[in-house]
Amino acid sequence: MALLLKTTKFVETQIDLFLDIVSDAAVLFKLAMDDYLKDRTSQFEDRLAKVRESENKADDLRVSIERYLYERTLIPENRGDVLAILENTDEVIDNIKDSLLQFSIETPEIPEELDDLWMQTTTASVEAVEQLVFAVRSFFRDIAAVNNYIHKVYFFEREADHLGENLRRKIFSLDIELSQKSQLRFFAIHIEKISDYAQAVCDRLSIYTIKRQL
Amino acid sequence: MIFIYLLSGLFLGWSLGANDTGNIFGAAVETRMLKFKHAALIAAIFITLGAMAEGSGPSQTLGRLGSVDALGGAFTVALAAAAAITLMVRIRIPVSTSQTIVGAIIGWNFFSGRLTDFRALLTIAMSWITAFVMSAAIAGILFQIFRRKINKSHLHLLELDVYTRYGLILIGAFAAYSLGANNIANVVGVFVPGRPFKDLRLGAELIFSGTAQLYLVGAMAIVLGIYTYSWKLMRTVGKDLFHLSPVTALIALLSEAIVLFVFASQALRNLLIFLHLPAIPLVPVSSSQVIVGAVMGIAISKGGKNIRYNILAKISLAWVIAPLMAFFFSFIALFTIQNVFEQDVKKDLTYEFNSQTVGYLVAREMDKSALSIVNGRSFDSEQKLYSELKSTQVFTPEEISSIIRIVEVYPLKVNTKILTDQGAINRISDQQLRELQTLEDLSFRHKWDFQQHLSQSESWRLIPNPQTEEEKLHNQKREEQYELLYRLFYYHPKR
Repeated sequence: MALLLKTTKFVETQIDLFLDIVSDAAVLFKLAMDDYLKDRTSQFEDRLAKVRESENKADDLRVSIERYLYERTLIPENRGDVLAILENTDEVIDNIKDSLLQFSIETPEIPEELDDLWMQTTTASVEAVEQLVFAVRSFFRDIAAVNNYIHKVYFFEREADHLGENLRRKIFSLDIELSQKSQLRFFAIHIEKISDYAQAVCDRLSIYTIKRQL
Repeated sequence: MIFIYLLSGLFLGWSLGANDTGNIFGAAVETRMLKFKHAALIAAIFITLGAMAEGSGPSQTLGRLGSVDALGGAFTVALAAAAAITLMVRIRIPVSTSQTIVGAIIGWNFFSGRLTDFRALLTIAMSWITAFVMSAAIAGILFQIFRRKINKSHLHLLELDVYTRYGLILIGAFAAYSLGANNIANVVGVFVPGRPFKDLRLGAELIFSGTAQLYLVGAMAIVLGIYTYSWKLMRTVGKDLFHLSPVTALIALLSEAIVLFVFASQALRNLLIFLHLPAIPLVPVSSSQVIVGAVMGIAISKGGKNIRYNILAKISLAWVIAPLMAFFFSFIALFTIQNVFEQDVKKDLTYEFNSQTVGYLVAREMDKSALSIVNGRSFDSEQKLYSELKSTQVFTPEEISSIIRIVEVYPLKVNTKILTDQGAINRISDQQLRELQTLEDLSFRHKWDFQQHLSQSESWRLIPNPQTEEEKLHNQKREEQYELLYRLFYYHPKR
């Protein structure tokens, strides 16, 4: 039993590490957005590099966890669900990285009057991801708390949608080129999408939670 | 020849190994918490251990229902039970050897004109219902305890998985032990009175009794069933009957193990007696029904949703139909085996009312004038005698039973050398042997006559009107010794 518990502890650590990375990536996204809006370009690029690194690490960890779960036939009844959660959560980091990369490539010009709403939308989306990480951690350790976090994810996703809509309305009310409006709308939707991915993971998580409940 | 007679019992054992191991490890194997080869090994070891260590209790209860005293009869009874179980399993009714063997034994009683101890039958039938309800209750309570503990513990999913896995192994071993102890009586219990094996002496103090050898052979048949056929059924039980999560499977298994143990353990029974608590009858119960009861208990504990009530109906039906079917199979098979294959399926006992027996009965304050209608007559069937005595409307059923025991002709000749030859010498104390030797070469026509002579000595005496459970236990032990002597000293009048 001691040997099996040792392997288990190792996999537990890897799962925790994976979730730490997701959480860090979300915070980095928020900081990078702030840098971008305040024209701190080199700091923004640094943060993008860190997110890229995190995304690679998360991929490696996910593959390693998958291999352990299958090779050692751990949690045979739940491993399909666990892997689906990890894969879907991994997509959230991918989306964060893609968004920042797109900023780096296209360098859209964001009028100053949008800054506040832009950051509010970003904060709501990032908060949804943070709550998602709490929900996933609870799925492993404290099943009773999962629904509480899931509820918060849904709340912040709705908040991000609402703020995103306001942002897009404001973009199209500004006196700027249509091409710029169209480009800014694309980026606004990208930010909202992050919370949509978090919500998609929660949809699955709530079903897996029912399955896991005694 | 012995092995040919034993074949039907071995078939029952094989069927038990194939069917009932699924009830223990089905969910664990199906959820891939345990590999089949590990489950089979644990089941094989612990079922054998259970059968050898504590199989005798439920066997004695079956023995009370009817003592099949010829190997041909035991063969036929086991065959009828096996045929009935095969048919019931084919129509997907969860039934086990417990129910069919009871019906088959009663079939033998009817065929051979012996009386059925309806109190023993009631005890057994009540135990089936009690086992089902007890299993549901234990599972329901355990479920609540487990849920509370697990939710409070905040164990990681992976750690919970490890503990559940080891729990399934440990409790699976306990359940296998209990299954062996409880159900070996179904497999070879009917062969016990026929004594197909002699006791073997292993060293100075160690005796491998004939009964233990019989249990071992039965256990081997169960192991064969596990390795040859249980794989398929384990998967069916795990998938079709109920789909459980590993933790709920663990709870169901623990409840099953507890119930099987409670109805099998002589040690637990003795402990309860010692603590002046009501003793539980040792009866072979159905592991299939016990596990269904456990699952139902969990479902009720969860709020009572998704309960498949048709299973309840099927089980209630099985309590009635399985024994009835086995009864008819047994009766027809006994008739065929005796008349077509000309095999002995019973001992031909007679019941005589002569000056000796009637004198003894009158001395025991039985109504002399009522006995006059049978005085001087001889009967060849317990049932006919029972009807005759009942028609007098003087005797109670208990009195009739004791009259039958007194007038039964059971020729005995004391030969202490047989005790040594059969390896049974260590079953009695040195003092008991010395006192037995004083009756050497004497013959008796009735068991009571022999007992009366022997019980004059201190070491063979029974406690009159036992009050406490300890006194009852003392008498029970003494009666077992008498039963051993009856079997060993019996001689066929025609021989």
